[in-house]
Amino acid sequence: MTTTASTPVAAPEAGTGAAPGTRPGLRRRHRSRLRTTDALATGLHGLRGRKSRALLTALGIALGIASMVAVTGISASSKADLLAEIDRIGTNLLQVQGGNSVFGDAAPLPVEAPAMVRRIGPVQDASAVSSLKTEVFRNTFDEKANGLDVIATEPQLLNTLEGSVAAGRFLDAETSTLPTVVLGSVAAERLGIDDLDGAPTVDIAGRRFAVIGILDAFPLNPDLDRSVFIGNDAAENILGAELVPTAIYLRTTPEQVEAVREVLAATVSPTAPNEVSVSRPSDALEARAQVDQNLQNLLLGLGGIALLVGGVGIANVMIIAVLERRSEIGLRRALGATRRHIATQFILESASLAAFGGVLGIAVGTVVTIGYARRQGWLIDIPVTALAGGVVAALLLGALAGLYPASRAARLDPADAVRPG
Amino acid sequence: MSLATVIDPSTEASPSGGDEVLVLDEVSKHYPTTPPVVALDSVSLTITRGELVAIVGASGSGKSTLLNIVGTLDRPTAGRVLIEGTATTDLSDTGLAGLRSNRIGFVFQQFHLLEQVPAIENVATGLLYRGVSGRTRRRLAREALVRVGLEHRINHLPSKLSGGERQRVAIARAIVGEPAIVLADEPTGNLDSRTSEDIVALLRRLHREGSTIVVITHDRELAESLPRRVTIRDGRIVGDERVTTAGAAAS
Repeated sequence: MTTTASTPVAAPEAGTGAAPGTRPGLRRRHRSRLRTTDALATGLHGLRGRKSRALLTALGIALGIASMVAVTGISASSKADLLAEIDRIGTNLLQVQGGNSVFGDAAPLPVEAPAMVRRIGPVQDASAVSSLKTEVFRNTFDEKANGLDVIATEPQLLNTLEGSVAAGRFLDAETSTLPTVVLGSVAAERLGIDDLDGAPTVDIAGRRFAVIGILDAFPLNPDLDRSVFIGNDAAENILGAELVPTAIYLRTTPEQVEAVREVLAATVSPTAPNEVSVSRPSDALEARAQVDQNLQNLLLGLGGIALLVGGVGIANVMIIAVLERRSEIGLRRALGATRRHIATQFILESASLAAFGGVLGIAVGTVVTIGYARRQGWLIDIPVTALAGGVVAALLLGALAGLYPASRAARLDPADAVRPG
Repeated sequence: MSLATVIDPSTEASPSGGDEVLVLDEVSKHYPTTPPVVALDSVSLTITRGELVAIVGASGSGKSTLLNIVGTLDRPTAGRVLIEGTATTDLSDTGLAGLRSNRIGFVFQQFHLLEQVPAIENVATGLLYRGVSGRTRRRLAREALVRVGLEHRINHLPSKLSGGERQRVAIARAIVGEPAIVLADEPTGNLDSRTSEDIVALLRRLHREGSTIVVITHDRELAESLPRRVTIRDGRIVGDERVTTAGAAAS
């Protein structure tokens, strides 16, 4: 060759065997070598020029991964929102009620119970309510049963429950003595009072009470939303009621919630602690988060099935690809590819199809999660482990789906494969 | 630039002294069908470095089987095949792949180009299974394309090339790694007569530049134009003629 000049070439990939000039008779071994980057490139080769097929094949995996990401993302967001709410209202609110007496009625609490409760060290705040056996109506002409409670309480209650007023204000030391009421959110709705315009009044036991405030819904005590609140003094003096506490709400230091809970019944009613029921309203919200978990598992299972179906789809398409590409396989074998090189090529092709589906699925799942959480006004929480898990699962599944087609490709007889037809 | 220094330091310094690139020693190939088919029957043949040989025979004569065995795509039932002194029967499937990647270049009747990639990538694939870096592969592929006269088609996809050009790309791929032997299976079988002449002329030129080339063909006329003709019929070699002046006469 005339171009054989004296150009110094020191290409590192020169020979793997012996250099020229080694002992005569010691024959250099010829080896097939495929660089890792080249192996990856061969894995992508089959997808070139077959883009729509690749897309459709990857779609199954994409759907599976998308649904799994969306399910975990949506339920995590929902849970994050719920937990944030629980966090905001606190898990240190306890509620004491008279349990059922032997006659089946709601037993009242001892009159001195609120004072006893306040004496427990870790209790920061406590408020008692007394349910009055009377009814409340919009006016004297319309006395339909409405299921609303009239509750006498102290100004401290709103603070203890961390409630808020939608309009007007809550009872204070002065208005507690006057014929004034504050409406719970449901009570206001049922009485047809949306705001305080026109100084609305309500009728309790034939007496008119001025509405001075409307409350927002209580996050932890929806039963109180159906209540109409009046001051203790007003209840005694105007309605002539005898006040017996029916429930006590209390806040403890967060670390001592359980300890307080233990001693609460005995403190409230030393003689009949078993007639006192103690509850923690935030437990209900946590139970709701737990219920979501079950639904999430079910949906995850469905996503898993979609993923599996996607994997089978890939295996199918790969088998067809091996049949279609006999001559390419034969050519590569003729060019020196080992069986292992051929198998690797098809496994990588299968895995990259699945990985493509996985990335697509993660994108779709994330968008769905963000959209849904936005609509619901939730916090957005997409677990990173779910995303990483999605890609890893897709890759593994793809490699697995490629195993059988790859072994078929590797076993092709090269002499057969290069033959036309 | 010497290709040999880049990818195969042992090419020039061939050990064992002999310049026998290919030796077939009593090679037989039987297919265990009913009735059994004897595709090759005790074929012995020696091809030395720098030869341009036609193996000619009708279809069914056993020449395709011979090509597959010489190209190590198939194994003989009996006998020995030596490529540069290495007995292929001693090698595993992986060992044979290594031999093919380094020492054998193939040219097929149907070209067998990768349709999705341009000419230069197709030629570079000839070095893919040698562990040569992509940059070096492309540089050598470009040189090989220049050698076959396709410097103006380097980045064309096979679908944009004529039949003759496609076969030139395939020939460039076969020679890019400077193999010990180039096996061309009916290289003009899919081409018209004028293009066929061009391809044969190219093979003759590569031969003059030092390549060892074996052309398998059923085309007597093509075979007549080459310096050595091995005729095969019913699995046996029935003729081996050398025309020492053929090369000179043609040029």
